[in-house]
Amino acid sequence: MTGSLISVRDLTVCFHTDEGLVTSVDGISFDIAPGEVLGLVGESGSGKSVTAKSLMQLNADNAVYGEGSSISFTPGNETIDVLALRRPQDMKVIRGGAISMIFQEPMASFAPAITIGDQMVEQLLLHTDMTKRQARKLSIEMLDRVGIKDPDKRVDQYAFELSGGMRQRAMIAMALSTKPKLLIADEPTTALDVTIQAQVIELMKDLVAEFGMGILFITHDLGVIAQTADRVSVMYLGRILESGPVRDVIRHPAHAYTQGLINALPKLDDLDAPLTPIPGDIPSPLERPNGCVFHPRNPKLKPGSRYETEVPPMTEVAPGHFAALFPEDVPARP
Amino acid sequence: MTEPLVKVDSVSTHYPLGRSVFGKPTVLKAVDQVSLRIARGSFFGLVGESGSGKTTLGRAILRAAPITGGSVRYDDGEVNYDIGTLDKTALRDYRKRAQLIFQDPYAALSPRMTVRDIIAEPLEVMGLTSGREETDQRVREIAAKCRLNLEHLRRFPHAFSGGQRQRISIARALVCSPKFVVADEAVAALDVSIQADILNLLKSLQRDLDLTFLFISHDLSVVAHVCDHVAVMYHGRIMEQAPTRQLFENPQHDYTKSLLSAIPSLDPDEPLRAQVYTPSA
Repeated sequence: MTGSLISVRDLTVCFHTDEGLVTSVDGISFDIAPGEVLGLVGESGSGKSVTAKSLMQLNADNAVYGEGSSISFTPGNETIDVLALRRPQDMKVIRGGAISMIFQEPMASFAPAITIGDQMVEQLLLHTDMTKRQARKLSIEMLDRVGIKDPDKRVDQYAFELSGGMRQRAMIAMALSTKPKLLIADEPTTALDVTIQAQVIELMKDLVAEFGMGILFITHDLGVIAQTADRVSVMYLGRILESGPVRDVIRHPAHAYTQGLINALPKLDDLDAPLTPIPGDIPSPLERPNGCVFHPRNPKLKPGSRYETEVPPMTEVAPGHFAALFPEDVPARP
Repeated sequence: MTEPLVKVDSVSTHYPLGRSVFGKPTVLKAVDQVSLRIARGSFFGLVGESGSGKTTLGRAILRAAPITGGSVRYDDGEVNYDIGTLDKTALRDYRKRAQLIFQDPYAALSPRMTVRDIIAEPLEVMGLTSGREETDQRVREIAAKCRLNLEHLRRFPHAFSGGQRQRISIARALVCSPKFVVADEAVAALDVSIQADILNLLKSLQRDLDLTFLFISHDLSVVAHVCDHVAVMYHGRIMEQAPTRQLFENPQHDYTKSLLSAIPSLDPDEPLRAQVYTPSA
C-alpha cells in the first residue's frame, strides 16, 4: 500500500524461555496511515504489547523475530526497515524520535528523582538540535498545550507531586514534544479513573487533529476504541482475528471472538441484558491450539470442523473489513 | 420490611497525619459520616473512583479498618453485634459470618499451598470442623459450587488462569458459610470474557447460599448489571444512593451524572461528552 506511515507484514515474535519457545505474536500484518488512529484490542496475553514494542525493537533480549517478518516505517521520504536496525545510534531515530510511546502506568514511566522538566529537556536534547533554553521553553509550552495549569511551576516538580491524570498528561506532552510521526499508546487510560480517562481521550483526539500523526492505540476496552479509533484490529493469542473500520466491526462483528467480547461487556443502556461470558479460559501461551487459535472456546463450532486443523485466511466480509473465517462462514448482513 | 443485615450509622474512619507547627492535629478523613442500610439478601453496590474511601468503608464494616466514629450494627437474626465494640470471642464469631473476596487473584493465593489447603485454611484456623474428613467434605462441596474440578484441589495456584484463581478465592471466602460477603473489586483484574463468568457465578451463589453482598467497584456498568442497590462515594462521603434502576435512569447528584457521562459508549457516533464535576464549597 502506498502512503502508509508504517507497514507491518507477517510479524512473528517468539521468546526463548526455560519452558521452551513461546510464540507471542503469530504472523500479523497491518498498516497505519498518517493521521490515522488504529485501535488494537485484545485481552491479556494476546500479544498486543509485544506488537507495539516490536515497532521500536524494545522487546527483551530473548525475543526472536520470525524470518518473513518485516516492519517498514516511512516517516519522511525514506523508508526504514525497523527490524534490520542494529546499532544504538540508528535505533535513536525510531526510539523517541519519529516514534514515541505512552505507557500504561504514568507513575512508573517517570524517573522519581528527576524533575518532569529535566526529563522532558533531556529527550529533546537527544533527539533534536535545540539548545537547553529552547528545549525548556518548548517543554513548558507542551505542558500548557495538554492542559496542565501553571506549567512554568509544574515543570520543576517531581512525578509524585502530580495527580494520576496530570502525570499521564505530562507523559503525553513529553511524547509529543519531539513531534513524532507515529505515537504508540499502550493502555494509556487503563490506570486512570473514568472521569480522567474521558479527559485524556478528548485530549488525544484534539492532538491528532492538530499534529496529524498516526497513532497505534492499544487497549482491552472496546468502549475506548469506539471513541478514539478510525480502524480496529482484534487480537487473540498472537493473531489478528478481525480488523476493519471501527463502526463496521462494532456494529457487525463477523468473528465469533469479537461477537463474544461485545456480548460479555456490561452495557448501560440495557440493564436486563444477561452477561454472556466466552466459555473456557485463555489457554497458556505454551499450549497454543492448532488451526484457528480461538476454536476451543468457540461455541458455534461443531466437533471436527476445519477450524481445528486449518488456519482460516483473512476474508473480506465488507469493504475494508476482514475476519479470520473461511469464505463459506462469512455471516450474511441483515 | 425486615431489619437490614448491616446498619451503618454516620461511620467515620479518620487517620491522624501527625501534627502541624501549631500543634493542631491534621486528619485524613478516609470515610466521613457515612450511613447505609444493607438489606438481607441484597447485592449492594458501592462505587467510587480511586481514593474515594470505598475500600476503607468495606473494611471498616468488617472491622479490618478502624471505626473512629459512628456505629456499624450487624443483625442476621441469630446474633446482633455492634461491630465497633466486639470483644475477642464475638469478633471471632463475626469473622465466620462476614468474609472478604480480594481484587487480585494472583496476589491473594499462597503459591506454596495446594488449592485444597488454601480453601480449607479458614476452617482449620477457626476450628469449625471436627476433623480432616469433615474439612475435606466441606472443601469438596464449596469447590463444586464454585465450579472447580475436584482434581484441581491437588494442584498449586500457579497452574491456574485468572478466572480459575478468582473462583478459588471465592471458594475460600465461602467455605465457612458466611452470611455477608464484601467483594472488593472482585472482577477488576479479570479480562472481559472472564469477568462476565465470575459475575454470573457470584449472582448464582448469592441465590443458592442466601448471601448478602457488598460489591465494591469502580466500574459503573458492572455495578449496574449485578447490584440491586447502589451507593456512590466521593472523597469519603456518600453522594447518592438509590435502587440501581432509579440511580442509572434518573441520577440526582451532579457527581453521579458526571461519572455516568464519562463512560465511553460502544457506539462511535455517540461522542463522549464528559461533564466535569466541581464540588461546591
